Amino acid sequence: MMHQTILSGTPTALTSRDAHLRLDGLTKRYGDTEAVAALNLDVPKGELVALLGPSGCGKTTTLRMIAGLITPSGGRIVVGRSDITQMPVYRRDMGLVFQSYALFPHMTVARNVAFGLEMRGVSKPEIEQRVREALAMVRLEPLAERRPRELSGGQQQRVALARALVIRPSILLLDEPLSNLDAKLRDEMRNEIRDIQQNLGITAVFVTHDQVEALSMCDKVVVMKGGKLEQVGTPVDVYEHPATPFVASFVGRTNRLEAMGKGDGTAIAGGAVLRIPSRAQGPVEIMMRPHRVRLTDSDGASASGGEGTNRLDGRLSRVTFVGDLLQYHVDVSGTELVVEAASDHGRVFRAVGAPVSLMWRVEDTMVFGRTA
Amino acid sequence: METNPTSLPMKILVFLLFLFLLAPVILVVPISFSGEQILSFPPQSWSLRWYTALAGNSAIISAFWTSLLLGAIVTVLSLAAAIPAAYVIVRMRTMGSGFLYNLFTAPLLLPTIVLGLAILIVFASAGFLGSFWGLVIGHLVITLPYALRVLATTLGNLPLACEEAASTLGGRPLTVFRRVTLPMMAPGIVAATALCFLVSFDEVVITLFLTGPRLTTLPVELFHHVESRADPLVASVSVLLILLTLAVVMVVDRTVGLSKTFVK
Repeated sequence: MMHQTILSGTPTALTSRDAHLRLDGLTKRYGDTEAVAALNLDVPKGELVALLGPSGCGKTTTLRMIAGLITPSGGRIVVGRSDITQMPVYRRDMGLVFQSYALFPHMTVARNVAFGLEMRGVSKPEIEQRVREALAMVRLEPLAERRPRELSGGQQQRVALARALVIRPSILLLDEPLSNLDAKLRDEMRNEIRDIQQNLGITAVFVTHDQVEALSMCDKVVVMKGGKLEQVGTPVDVYEHPATPFVASFVGRTNRLEAMGKGDGTAIAGGAVLRIPSRAQGPVEIMMRPHRVRLTDSDGASASGGEGTNRLDGRLSRVTFVGDLLQYHVDVSGTELVVEAASDHGRVFRAVGAPVSLMWRVEDTMVFGRTA
Repeated sequence: METNPTSLPMKILVFLLFLFLLAPVILVVPISFSGEQILSFPPQSWSLRWYTALAGNSAIISAFWTSLLLGAIVTVLSLAAAIPAAYVIVRMRTMGSGFLYNLFTAPLLLPTIVLGLAILIVFASAGFLGSFWGLVIGHLVITLPYALRVLATTLGNLPLACEEAASTLGGRPLTVFRRVTLPMMAPGIVAATALCFLVSFDEVVITLFLTGPRLTTLPVELFHHVESRADPLVASVSVLLILLTLAVVMVVDRTVGLSKTFVK
């Protein structure tokens, strides 16, 4: 059993000996378009890996190829030491949890969970016992004789989880399992799925478009775009050191600023000289997280940043109250930048239209080359 | 339907429309209890004589049993053909699925008289006329499109995810079909069963071409009966048929729900 915490990180060079699931140049073409383009991915045994990306990025197609519901156009899927690319879905031994739950409406909860065991020819007493254990794991034992339609969305998804896990699958696949649940339930289920996955030490692939789910639950996050990998890393890696502007803007909120790199660790943007942690020359994109930026009055001593601080002056154009946060929208010579600060009972201290300064640390500045 | 309050003129309009639609059915009931020798409304005297006459009319009774057996066999065969056909057309989406669907449901668009003539010509040369199995085949041409239509729609509305889930859990294609797809299609199957049976039981046009002196169905026998004698016997048969239909409809309603079955 593995007890890995999110912060412990994973070794960057994964030897294929450790890899439980390996995708090797996996490709899916529909006509001329490549839904998934030569994907290479290692999922070590016992890890929960998120496939994260916007809709149409190929994450669900990838998951369905792993499950065997879609035939790949090219590449290989390897579990342990066996190539399962050509294996029919019913022999793959994978537990798949659907966004729509996909419970059998004409069977009770217990019969739903028993289905996979019956398919495997498990003996009746053993089926009964394992179904009971699986339902206990998701705390649904009292509802065993109910029909799926009599359960809430969260309960249905827990049945689906029990049904997928009771067959002791080699890999657990989760296809946006939380998207149909309301916000509060989503948080609970997130922890529940993570706990169960870790207790069982099962290798799992989790498809989601929600960066919070990916960051909070998973050992490793795979950011996809247009059928290709954008970045593979730990949640902290992906958030703190995004490899591309797309990752920076998709995982967490970002401010984006066009600038000119001078090649000496500085760049010109919005009429000011910014220090950047890069020697880039020419057009660059500068990004910083809204909550890493501080808002100050533009006059007075407090506005003078120290050595390791960048500063831009602008005008406060809008303040949005989002409950726990206040979002200050600041117009910096035509570009809108956002500053997030903890909200103090929704009190807004600055008037819209007032001149303000944005300050952030040089190390919080992300720099990307601009291709356009 | 929402329970919107309906305005009075609307209620009256709906009532009149229903009256118009149901008038013949309602009229048949008093006529069947007529004591007269000929069909007339309102009857001058009342009796049960036409129900007793019916009990002694062996031609009508044997025609009823023929129709019942025919309807049952045609229904079973229609479902046996339409369920796999619907699965192949909707789920497998092979090349020509759309073409096959249109081909199978085309008889719905043809005038039945044309179909009847065509079948007559084919059967005459094959020697199927006046035979029970000839009738079965003739009726299948009519009922199969109904069955396929209902079942294809049912299957098309079912979420594919349930079948996919079953296959990831280790169900082979046939097992998945038997344990998951088929039970989920149940409402459509009940609807198709009722529809096929009623269409076959009611069919006159094609059957007229195919029946002979020794083999006839109830609607055709009634048709001939009215042609020769206009007595209220047909009214008493009609009343019994209405009751039978009501019974079928109620069974469907109690088991799967009427609107769920036929509306959609």
